[in-house]
Amino acid sequence: MSLWTEIWFLLGKEVKLEWRQRHALSGIVLYVLSTVFIVFISFQQISPQLWNVLFWIIMLFASINAVVKSFVQESGNRQLYYYQLANPVAILLSKTLYNTLLLLLLGGLNAAALLLVAGNPLEDPGLFALSVVMGSIGFSVTFTFIAAIAAKTSNSSTMMTILGFPVIIPVLLILVNLSAHAIGLLQGSLIEDDIVMLAGIDLLLLGLGLVLFPMLWRE
Amino acid sequence: MREYWWKILGVVLVLYSFGMGLLTPLKTGISDIHPQFISTGDTVAMEITGYNSFYQAAEGKLRAWLKLDAAHALAASAIEVKDDRHLVLYFALPEELPGTAEETDASLLIDSPVDGAHVYPGGIRIRQKKNVQPQKSSTNWTDPIENLHEKDAITFPFRNILGETIRNTYYHVPMWFAMFLLFTGAMVHSIHFLRRKNLKNDRWAAALTNTGLVFGAMGLATGAVWANYTWGEPWSGDVKQNMTAIGLLIYGAYFVLRFAMEDPERKARISAVYNIFAYSTLIPLLYVIPKLTDSLHPGAGGNIAFGSQDLDNTMRMVFYPAIIGWTLTGLWASQLLYRMNTLREKLLWEH
Repeated sequence: MSLWTEIWFLLGKEVKLEWRQRHALSGIVLYVLSTVFIVFISFQQISPQLWNVLFWIIMLFASINAVVKSFVQESGNRQLYYYQLANPVAILLSKTLYNTLLLLLLGGLNAAALLLVAGNPLEDPGLFALSVVMGSIGFSVTFTFIAAIAAKTSNSSTMMTILGFPVIIPVLLILVNLSAHAIGLLQGSLIEDDIVMLAGIDLLLLGLGLVLFPMLWRE
Repeated sequence: MREYWWKILGVVLVLYSFGMGLLTPLKTGISDIHPQFISTGDTVAMEITGYNSFYQAAEGKLRAWLKLDAAHALAASAIEVKDDRHLVLYFALPEELPGTAEETDASLLIDSPVDGAHVYPGGIRIRQKKNVQPQKSSTNWTDPIENLHEKDAITFPFRNILGETIRNTYYHVPMWFAMFLLFTGAMVHSIHFLRRKNLKNDRWAAALTNTGLVFGAMGLATGAVWANYTWGEPWSGDVKQNMTAIGLLIYGAYFVLRFAMEDPERKARISAVYNIFAYSTLIPLLYVIPKLTDSLHPGAGGNIAFGSQDLDNTMRMVFYPAIIGWTLTGLWASQLLYRMNTLREKLLWEH
């Protein structure tokens, strides 16, 4: 079986698993919606700058909550079963891909909810959509690998934030910058630089994950 | 004795860097000039505040020039010494500037047989008076600068803004060198562990990372002290400072991760993987991102690195030994930590 079919099968498995236990997915959706609502009630008036920061803060916490279960939701016995069958690279890539899709969904939902309750500050929706897509990829690449490390410890959700936050700060800073351009808070021609740097960081983290995951995975 | 030579060398070099770095005086410099905006045709009385200067000892033998470029300079017509630190220079400025410029930037050069020649680089603006047409050929700016003196003593260069804080080069920069070498050592041990599964490698990696982190914190602290004097604030949110803090946080999480696991083999394996990960993110954080964005730090954001211009041979005599000394001291500290942890584990097994 080639790597790509393997990834495809595993991705299908992730989606099926998620669909069977819908409570996890609906939990995350509810998490995003209620956070947006809390933010709306407590701020009432949301300036474009605040809109931008709030979007990414909500996105950050929702992503951590969504990704943390990647490696802990399946039992140890089933993990053992995967050791026999799958290539670790395929496992990591399929989980990263699945998490990217999940975060894209969350990002869309988050944006829609914020647009609904806090008005529309976007001047360049295309650029904003790009930053959400790049953000989903960046968060997913980083957090999936961190989740694999955190899953090995006794307290994985706390470890996830401790390990994940410092690593994600550079990504988050660039994303806030990029969407500030889309909102019209920042002017200038540095957008391409930001995109290239973000893609560079994503690629670096993905490469590191692919090299290190095989050593991490097998007990 | 044979096994201890490098520890002794490390301590001696660190002490030497403290002694030489703090006691060697700075070269004579010019710390302040008033006025800095002058116009042609005037006779200007320029008040000079010197630094580490001995003007009274050189009274009568002082010379001074306003220097426009390699070919154009104007000598002071009279020099009045107030005290060792203060001078008044009189310049009778010609009616017009050489060339066609309406405004130009000049440097001030003072030559003293006691202190040697010293310069205030740039920063003096000379403006052409409005009613005079600038002429192509000017004969008034051609005083020769010659027979400059050089001071015969071991001194560090004087730079405006930096002043005495130039000495921080021997304490701030070696911290990062030492940190990087220790982290590199830790990463190599982590790779070795993943290959050979020897717990000794894991203990070495932990010990080296621990000392490296201490050096990183000291580097951040000395950097904040330096930034307070040169940038105005200890923490100005400069990208270099921010990324460094993030890098150290990533390394700090290494120890949290170690504490979160009980089984020694699993702890060693996971933390080795994380250590390699942390090392690979540290280089882009400290050296790539600051280079690509705006930063005040030398060597970042389009600035040239400090060493390429300001590090003279006297400074090298302290700077390189300081790097070697701090690295050796760091290795010694790591060795002590390693032994301590080995003994602790032995005790745990025996009781």
